[in-house]
Order: sequence, then C-alpha cells, then structure tokens
Amino acid sequence: MLANGDLSRLVTDTRIHRDLFQDRAIFDLEMERIFARSWVYVGHDSQVPEPGDFLCTRIGAQPVVMVRHTDGKVHVLYNRCGHRGVKVVAEEEGNAKRFMCMYHGWTYDTNGDLDFVTQPEGYPEGRHPDKVRDGMGRIARVDDLCGFVFANQSEEGPGLRDWLGANAVCLEDLADSAPDGEVEIRGGVHRYMYRGNWKFQIDNLSDMYHPAYSHESSSRPTGQQFARRKGDKGGIEFRGKRGRVKSMDPLGVSALPNGHSWQGGLPQIENTSELHREYVRRLEARHGPERTKEVLTKTRHNVIFYPNMAMQELNPHIRVIRPVAADLTEIFVYPIRLKGAPEQMFREQIRILNGTHSASSMVQTDDVEAFARAQEGLSTTGNEWILLARAGEEKVDPATGRVSSIGTSEVAMRNHYATWLSLMSRA
Amino acid sequence: MAGAENGRGGAALAELLVAREVERFLIREVGLLDDRRFEDWIELFTEDGTYWAPARVDQDDPWEHVSLFFDDRELMTTRLARLRHPRVYAQIPHSRTSHTIGNVTVDPPDPDADAYEVGARFVMLDYRSGHGQRSFGGRYDYRLVREGDSFRIASKKATLLNCDAVHEAISIPF
Ligand SMILES: [Fe+2]
Repeated sequence: MLANGDLSRLVTDTRIHRDLFQDRAIFDLEMERIFARSWVYVGHDSQVPEPGDFLCTRIGAQPVVMVRHTDGKVHVLYNRCGHRGVKVVAEEEGNAKRFMCMYHGWTYDTNGDLDFVTQPEGYPEGRHPDKVRDGMGRIARVDDLCGFVFANQSEEGPGLRDWLGANAVCLEDLADSAPDGEVEIRGGVHRYMYRGNWKFQIDNLSDMYHPAYSHESSSRPTGQQFARRKGDKGGIEFRGKRGRVKSMDPLGVSALPNGHSWQGGLPQIENTSELHREYVRRLEARHGPERTKEVLTKTRHNVIFYPNMAMQELNPHIRVIRPVAADLTEIFVYPIRLKGAPEQMFREQIRILNGTHSASSMVQTDDVEAFARAQEGLSTTGNEWILLARAGEEKVDPATGRVSSIGTSEVAMRNHYATWLSLMSRA
Repeated sequence: MAGAENGRGGAALAELLVAREVERFLIREVGLLDDRRFEDWIELFTEDGTYWAPARVDQDDPWEHVSLFFDDRELMTTRLARLRHPRVYAQIPHSRTSHTIGNVTVDPPDPDADAYEVGARFVMLDYRSGHGQRSFGGRYDYRLVREGDSFRIASKKATLLNCDAVHEAISIPF
C-alpha cells in the first residue's frame, strides 16, 4: 500500500509525477478513494422513464445498475448477487419486474432487496438470508440535478449540490436552453476507447492550448474548422492573418472546488438559419427576450464534472469517462435533446456529433492519439515529470471559489491534481 | 418447349451478367479505398449520395440515432481531405486496409433496370504500424443507379457485426 507521504511527493505546484498514469497500485487506489468517495455521474433519469426500467453501467471499474423502482425512485445497485457474487443483470438496458440471478435463481426487487430464495428449506432457523444485507446492495447515496443522476458510495462528505458548487448552474442553464425547460438523453451513444490513463481526458477537456496543433488537420487552409452547429457560418478559428495561431487566451478557463472546471465559451458564430430562428422564438415564448439572450450566449464550452463527466452546451452532449485500467479508458458520448426545440435541430445535432465524437470522428481521433502517445511517452525514465506551469493572471470569485484565468492557462489541471491529491490522501 | 427453355436460359444469363457487372463495380469501389484513392472513391457517389455506418445492428434511421459514419458528399470531402493533411496525427503512420467483398445479391436481376438494391458481406482488415491489425466485417447494403455502362452509389450502408462495441479510433471507411 502506498503511504500518503509518497503520494504528496508525486504532485507539486507545477509538476506531477508519471506514476499517476503508469502505476497500477495508484489506479486501484483511485477507484477506492476517488470513484468510491465522490459524486460520480451515473446516467440521466430520462434513460429509465418507467418503473422497472434499468440501465447497466459502471462506477469506476465496478458494474452497477441504475433502475427505477416501483415507487418511482431511481436507485443505483451493485450488479452482484448477494449469494455468490455473480453479476445479476447481463443486458445493457431493459425493463424488469424483478432481477433473477442465473446461478441459483435468487430474485431481487428493483430496489435491490432480496425478493425470493429458491428452496428456502435449505436454510435452517437463524441462517435464512436477509432481505437487505443479502440483497444486491444499494449505493449509499443517489441524487439528481435536472435529471442528471449522480451516486456516491460513501455516506460521508458533502451532498450533491455542495459537491457540484457552481457547476450546478451549468446543468440548470442547460435545462433553460430547452424551450420546455427539460432535457433528455436520446439517440444512443458513441463509444470509443484509448490505450491511456483516464486523467488525460479530464485534462484535455480544459485544454485550450492544444486545438490549433492537435486538430490542425480538421481545419481548412483558411485556418477555420468546420461548423459545429447547423446554420453556423463556419467553425472555430485556429489561425488568423498570415497563418498565425490564434490564441484562445481571451476565452478564459475556470477552476472550481472539488476538481471541476470550465472552458470559456467559444466566440459566438452568427446563425441566421430559419431553424435557429424558430428555436429562438420558442425560447422567447418561455423566457422572454432577456433571459433568451443569456441562454443563447454560451459562456462555457466543456464543463467538467469531476471525476467522470463533461457536458457541452454548444452541440449539447455529455461525455462519460470510464476508467478500465491505468492504461485503458473508455469514453461514452450521449447526445442531449432539448425538449421543445425543433425536431430537425436534434437531427442536425446528431449528424454533427457523428463528425466530432464518434469512434471515427475528425476531432476525438486526434485527441485519443495524443493520449495513447502520452501513455507511451511517459514510460520513458529520463524525465519523470509532467509540466503544468502555464499560467496567467488569476481572479478568484469568493462566493463560489472559482478561479478564472487566461484560456491556455493550466490552472484547471493544477486544480484537478490538487483535488486528486486531497482525495487520495484521505485514508 | 425448347424455346421456353432458351428463354429461361437467356434470363439466367442476363441475371448472371448483371450480377457480375455489379460485383466488378463493388470490387473496384472498395479497391479505391485500399489504394487510398479517396477522391476517386467520393466521385462514385451521386451528388446526393450518402455513406452510412450505423452504431446499432437494427438501426433503421441515421437521423434519430448516432452512427459511426453518416456522410454526405460534403462531409466525405472534409473527412477525406483531412486524411491528406500532412499532420493528421490519428493516421501517422496511416492505416493499410484490405477490403474483401462476397455473397453479392442484386435486386432486381433485370439488366435494364435504372437502380439496384445490392446486398453483400465484407471483411476489412486495418493495420496501423505499432497498433496491430484489426478486422471489421458485416453487411453492405447499396443502392446503385445505372449511369452509362457503369453505376453510381446513391447510398452505401456498412453494418458492422460489432458496430456497437467500444472501438479504438477508426479512420478509413468500411
Ligand atoms: Fe482536442
């Protein structure tokens, strides 16, 4: 077992040690001290609308089932039989009155309680399995915000809202960008994986320094990327006049307590399509012109919900980070449908997400290439450190603890590892 | 009686010829991908032609559900122009692919039809130095339209056997 003193030597103000990405013991400890003790994103309640609807996923490396019980409450259950530990639910999703274990036929209610033990006469007085203790087991705390369900395996620590802090507003703003005031997850999921550590993806989501370099091949000779939204007149500008890389510093980046962070919103791109105008009309009908203008001005690009989710409003989707091993990570990307928005808008969202976030996308494929090369590069021993020293002027919002700085600052990554160390150091 | 048999024989021969013509077209089509002649590959599609690789085996709509690929000519052009970029890092070094096509069916079997629904099975090997070799395979569904003495592709759908698996990055169309 790693001593806490050893861990603190791995994270300095500006450098982190390569063991954070290479060491299997550290990965196991992350599952225990980060993924088992913080609010981990599990799914959206629109994925399990009816009683008995369930969805299999993971918290850290553990298989779990998110399920709506007969009383309407959403539970997250460990996916194991109370008897011999066999994984109970094998389907990815579906509807069930009860879950039955394949091994000896024990059944469970959709809240995880033990329902029925086969051949019960085989358990004499005092030995009969207990409804709760020998059930599948419920994750200690489950809570949601705007339908986004998070679970925490620990009874201790802050509640969901406190944990999310200023990030809670991001989910509320997302809901407000739907003319019906609600979002849902629909249209399936993009799945891809890379041979690298999960933390590369977290860091990359706040990295506004890399796009012009990593993603150069996705831009036209003019230096502009393809449009990210139907009707947008062009996309992100990587290069300006005379081919010089345009700094993303003016966009800003924010670091929040508990490891969360945001990228500042991309510059607004004019959209005069009839589809967009219809969307604006519907928003105005709900919010009036002022709030509509606020809702349409995207002040944040990728928002990281530490440790395993990121949300983006521009082409609404969430990205779930699924650590598998120290050097293997899966990424699942789910489109978000803004309820009440024109149906054609969602169709265009799906089409564009195929280009940016599928396994064969024109953007993520370069990022995952960088992550795999980082994993390989960090196996070298000449220099044991990663450098995270980029910085600009920093402003602190005392109300939320949010630290904001220039777009290419690595402040969000330093913040990520400060949180990492504090979570990892708690025995 | 003999005349009727000749008629059947003639129809069978015509059917065989159109099947062979379609098959040769498909062999050339996937060969363009293997030869990295991406621009020529795009030219095989009609102006409103589409290339689609669904993310579910039972997916019947590319608009309501995400896909691995769903490209019109414009997106194909953007995607394949990227493959020509000297700094397309996801493809340095680039993939070598080998597409094999078989079990081709053509509907209708009439050699004078304007359009054909074509089914086939395929295997694509994808080797990237340092990344090992991967194999993809499944079903192709095409709609081909007759153009002169050849065809153009109105739609090509490649349904992978494991389209809903968690894939590593994919760069070359199936
Ligand atoms: Fe990137």
